[in-house]
Amino acid sequence: MKKKRIHILAVFLFTALLSVASADEIELNYRLKWLFNTSVAGDIYADAKGYFSEAGLKVHVREGSPEKNAINELELGHADFGVASADQVIRALDKGAKIRVLAQLFQVNPMQWIYRADQPRIKTLDDLRGRNIGITFGGNDETVMNTLFAKAGITSKDVKITGVRFDFTPFFKREVDVWPVYFNSQGVILKDRLEKEGERVYFFNPADFGVNFVANSVISSEKVWKNRPEVVKKFMDALLKGWEAAMDPANEADVLMEVKKQDKESNDELRRLQLIATRELIKPSAGVKIGTMDVEAWKQTEAIMLNEKQIKKPVHVESVLKQ
Amino acid sequence: MHLECKNLNFTYPENDVPVIQNLSFLIKNPGFNAVFGPSGVGKTSLAKLIAKMDTHFTGTIVTQDMDIILYSYNQERLPGWSGTGSHLDKVTPEGKHPLKDQLIDIFELKPILRSRFSKLSMGQQNRINLVRYLLQDFDLLIMDESLANVDEKLRETIILSIKDLFADKMFLYISHNLMEVSSFCREILVFGKPSGNKTCSIIQGRDYIKGYAPDKQSLDRTMLEIMNAV
Amino acid sequence: MLFRRIYQFLIVYSIGLISLLLIKTALSLSDYVIPGFGLILETFQEVFDTYFLDAMNTMSVTVLGQCVSIALAFGVGIAGRRSSWMGSFIKVTAYNIQAYPIVALAPIIFILLGDGFISRLLIASMICYFPLLLSVLGIMATPVEDIEHFYIITGRMRWQLEVKIRAFENLSKLTTVISGSATLAMAGTIVAEFIAANAGIGYSIRVALYQSDLAKILIALFLIGIIISIYQGCLETLGEQIKTRWSVSKGGNPR
Repeated sequence: MKKKRIHILAVFLFTALLSVASADEIELNYRLKWLFNTSVAGDIYADAKGYFSEAGLKVHVREGSPEKNAINELELGHADFGVASADQVIRALDKGAKIRVLAQLFQVNPMQWIYRADQPRIKTLDDLRGRNIGITFGGNDETVMNTLFAKAGITSKDVKITGVRFDFTPFFKREVDVWPVYFNSQGVILKDRLEKEGERVYFFNPADFGVNFVANSVISSEKVWKNRPEVVKKFMDALLKGWEAAMDPANEADVLMEVKKQDKESNDELRRLQLIATRELIKPSAGVKIGTMDVEAWKQTEAIMLNEKQIKKPVHVESVLKQ
Repeated sequence: MHLECKNLNFTYPENDVPVIQNLSFLIKNPGFNAVFGPSGVGKTSLAKLIAKMDTHFTGTIVTQDMDIILYSYNQERLPGWSGTGSHLDKVTPEGKHPLKDQLIDIFELKPILRSRFSKLSMGQQNRINLVRYLLQDFDLLIMDESLANVDEKLRETIILSIKDLFADKMFLYISHNLMEVSSFCREILVFGKPSGNKTCSIIQGRDYIKGYAPDKQSLDRTMLEIMNAV
Repeated sequence: MLFRRIYQFLIVYSIGLISLLLIKTALSLSDYVIPGFGLILETFQEVFDTYFLDAMNTMSVTVLGQCVSIALAFGVGIAGRRSSWMGSFIKVTAYNIQAYPIVALAPIIFILLGDGFISRLLIASMICYFPLLLSVLGIMATPVEDIEHFYIITGRMRWQLEVKIRAFENLSKLTTVISGSATLAMAGTIVAEFIAANAGIGYSIRVALYQSDLAKILIALFLIGIIISIYQGCLETLGEQIKTRWSVSKGGNPR
């Protein structure tokens, strides 16, 4: 009987201790832009390896989707941090949202175009003339392609534009020559599939032609950034530590294992290829520190959107980039 | 021409208690006959079995020299998309249009031929319904309360005219009107009360025809016989 | 009927809009999360012409899709009305197919037929078709005994007459179901456009969603609501006129 009482007391004390420990942890919600896959390897890795816990944070990393917009959630108080693309940030600023950009995850925009190697290589923008180019109407690729066209003086008469969706069939059937893809996800899948059929592919990257449209970045609300600087610092340090570790080729096997736990969609080999592709975009060279803001690219992104009438007035996006 | 039932038994599929039990009777020759009895004794069920609308029975039903058997009942409706007159026109077989006109006169239907069925009184509805059956080819017509809600005088005219015009046909008239069946029917198949132990019996009616002279005494006797059989 | 439909929609829409604006004010949200009234008006002026044409485009597919689904539902409903082996086979097949959510089948349709007009039409018809089919099957499989008896016993019954009797007797139910199915057809078209088409108001909503532009979505919803109200109002008026002309028979009770 006495023994039993001691056991109960021990369990009680242990539970109490645990709750004290967890009460010390700061609970945060982090809304990603898209589903769990290798594109968010760093976010998954930071959580899985306990970098957040080490910093005294309990972070709920949540998947995103077109309907689950991080900026909305920041304003509504459902999230403390999030990932948003530059165009989302600039649009939100145009409409009075008070947000801050804390780190630019992609140094190279993954949004590129794929085309078969049996077609003439696109060396200059003029090489786009006469091709059937796929565009997601309303998407960023439309904005970027319009900018490229304007830059090269290409009009709608010079190219054939085809609206595209999730189904790659028109590209496989060669109805569309140049197809928009995310370099590190669909790009890898398409490349892999075509290579299996003996076809080689090229990627057309707008950045190579002077159009730098910024992609995903980590954001928070102005309120969080101003009122909880120590939390912001802890979170960002842990997150970027996670990203640095995830992009380190030495950790590849471990990272892939952690991603696999969350992403059941792809196969192992595809996931490995996607991680390699992601590395090229997040950390293009050893010298680049993950999260570095390319201020000029941000300014260019804003200028493009202003030119394309996607925003009504200049928002001076550089003023919200806080590293 | 004769209608005969031998040891007829019928039970509704969803019911355990038989509606008709060991029923046997014989009605011979053309004529205007009746089925009489309290509600729920199986008059309508018997009519449907004779009209071959249901075949789940045991026993025998013999309908000798009667190829076409029609069953009509009150509460039947005519389609609502046309007037009653135009409906009658459509269902009248070739060569029977003079008969149709004659029946319209007898049944006093002329004023309502342009009306929609739904706008008629129940008596009018039953009359127009019966006319369309009388216009069809038949050997036996079962009239299940087909003259309900028709006023007494007109009902008498109609029954006497039917007997006159269709003397070579057999009729089974299901009615609750004791006086009517006693006066105008030839043979009356009387069903006993379901609770009692009386079986079914055939009683001879007065079978009055046009221009009849009523005989109160014999009519009373018939009525008493029927009441005793119920 | 028509005007009642329109003002009922306007009331519901206004309540929704006012609620959104109240939430915006209460939580001090930016125009990005919930647009202010001024921004909504401004966007309305900007996109009305395009969105109106888009909504009409969607409407044309809706009307056509509804016609196709009515024809299909009547075809299958008439074929499946008998309690024969074939009738029950058709009924069971129709019910089983209904178990699949059309939205889940949509990607297959788009892969096979592309993201053009035919796919939109097919999805709209399929979404609208099943509820219609259930009603039509129910109506067509239920005899109107007190009318049909005469035709059956006199050997005059033909399938066309049977269908005519049952349709006529259930005209109110049918017109209600058909006008109600207009909403489903519209929803089907919009879903199809949202998933994969390159035209129509559903497509515009998707683009607006890409750009997180709630003002545009609110205007699209307004146009969809007002157009479907007018369409439904017209269908109901038409149904009323047909009923009056055919003058529904009300005498007697079905047995």
